Amino acid sequence: MRQEDLVIYEEQIEKIEKALSRLIEDAQAKCVLLVDKDGHLITRQGFTQSLDTTALAALLAGSFASTREIARLVGEPEFSVLFHQGKKDHIHITLVGERTILAVVFDDRTTIGMVRLYAKEATENLGKVFSSANRQDRQTEEEKKTDLDSEFSTSLENRLDDIFSEQS
Amino acid sequence: MASINYAFKEISCKIVFYGPGLSGKTTNLQYVHQKIPPQTRGNLISLATDQDRTLYFDFLPVDIGKIHGFSTKFQLYTVPGQVYYNATRKLVLRGVDGLVFVADSQKSKMDENMESFQNLVENLSEYGYDIDKIPLVFQYNKRDFPDISSLEELGKALNPEGLPYFEAVATKGIGVFDVLKCISKLVLDQAKRRQLFPEREIETEEVEKAPALLSLSQMPQTEQMAEALNSSTPVENLTQEAVTTITQKKPEPPAEEITPKPQDTHKETKPEIELDIGEIAEKEKVKMDQIPSRESPTIISWSAGKSGKKTKSKGFFLWRFVNKLFNR
Repeated sequence: MRQEDLVIYEEQIEKIEKALSRLIEDAQAKCVLLVDKDGHLITRQGFTQSLDTTALAALLAGSFASTREIARLVGEPEFSVLFHQGKKDHIHITLVGERTILAVVFDDRTTIGMVRLYAKEATENLGKVFSSANRQDRQTEEEKKTDLDSEFSTSLENRLDDIFSEQS
Repeated sequence: MASINYAFKEISCKIVFYGPGLSGKTTNLQYVHQKIPPQTRGNLISLATDQDRTLYFDFLPVDIGKIHGFSTKFQLYTVPGQVYYNATRKLVLRGVDGLVFVADSQKSKMDENMESFQNLVENLSEYGYDIDKIPLVFQYNKRDFPDISSLEELGKALNPEGLPYFEAVATKGIGVFDVLKCISKLVLDQAKRRQLFPEREIETEEVEKAPALLSLSQMPQTEQMAEALNSSTPVENLTQEAVTTITQKKPEPPAEEITPKPQDTHKETKPEIELDIGEIAEKEKVKMDQIPSRESPTIISWSAGKSGKKTKSKGFFLWRFVNKLFNR
């Protein structure tokens, strides 16, 4: 299992968001979320204002993790597609690459077939973004990691003091 | 593992509260949820049974705001403590950045604590994680109960390595925020360190090119590296101000003197890396000569600037090395 942090750069996000917007448009979905398998929300597109996307991301990852275990128990390596059907809204979840999960929330304006078709296309595009990004990582990391340099620790300590100390 | 989003300037880390059943993991999260300002936290989500026992996990997102330009978020999870739920307990550990082991201080629960800790080690190793590499703090909970183990007994049984621990009464909030503060700092320090010194880079490309970098980076803690190179200034505190202070103390040494000096000083302290530093110093000599204005804090941009993509890591060590030189 990989033990590296998931690092997303600006140029990746632009491509990812473009792919997600296109998916919403083509599949007529309400919103889409791209979530790390560990439960961190990477990005979202569409009507997400009324949703608690942080919690949704954690639960989606949890749901996916438990489904994967179920798959393993029945002898499948992984269920790559997961579908929750509701009365009005439905969620279609697919695995993107090794580390991320794409969740599409949609209603009866569209059909599961449309969502499945375009989600598959988006998954392939996103997979390419992540794999090409991995190759670029080494160069860009050098430039970007200076952002997390030395002053970070000092600021962190002050901030933690502010938030947590007064409560205890 | 942590998610670092440079596009949105966001860091998100996962902290898991582990421990035996009924030791107070969920209570910790409930207390945090109750006490911190609503704008700082999200909703507390509990996937629990009808009897309020955790079935899968509790989840509480905490946003501690911007730190050095990065919006920093923690995702606090608990695991189900009951032995029966090991399958779901293991899933929660996926991608963990920091662990809080909540132990039940009651004497009768000592075996359960040890069993749970052993289970933690096993579950982590199934993911290929090494417990020694993940920040871990202990919370000895229920200190208000009558028949409790002493801190020595708990330490001996669970924490022989002497990692940070806190006494707590989670129902009253005692020791809850202390633990959270400690683990948050450890987790972010580690995430930062991984970004500054990514292991894979060292393992692959840099091995042949920079043996000095390898031998230094293999030391487990950045602080230790700082001690080795710069006894008076821990690396965590190497802020721009520190550099300015150092440079003000020793203004304008002739640039030519810098190159031979590192070799000399390192012969005394770190003989095994002296040659490599020398080589790097040789390669970097031109760049060194470009720092005549050491009264201004330009060393930062020199060491961490975009200009030297490949040489930056080497330059970074050399820069600390120069600091040490000036401190003498």
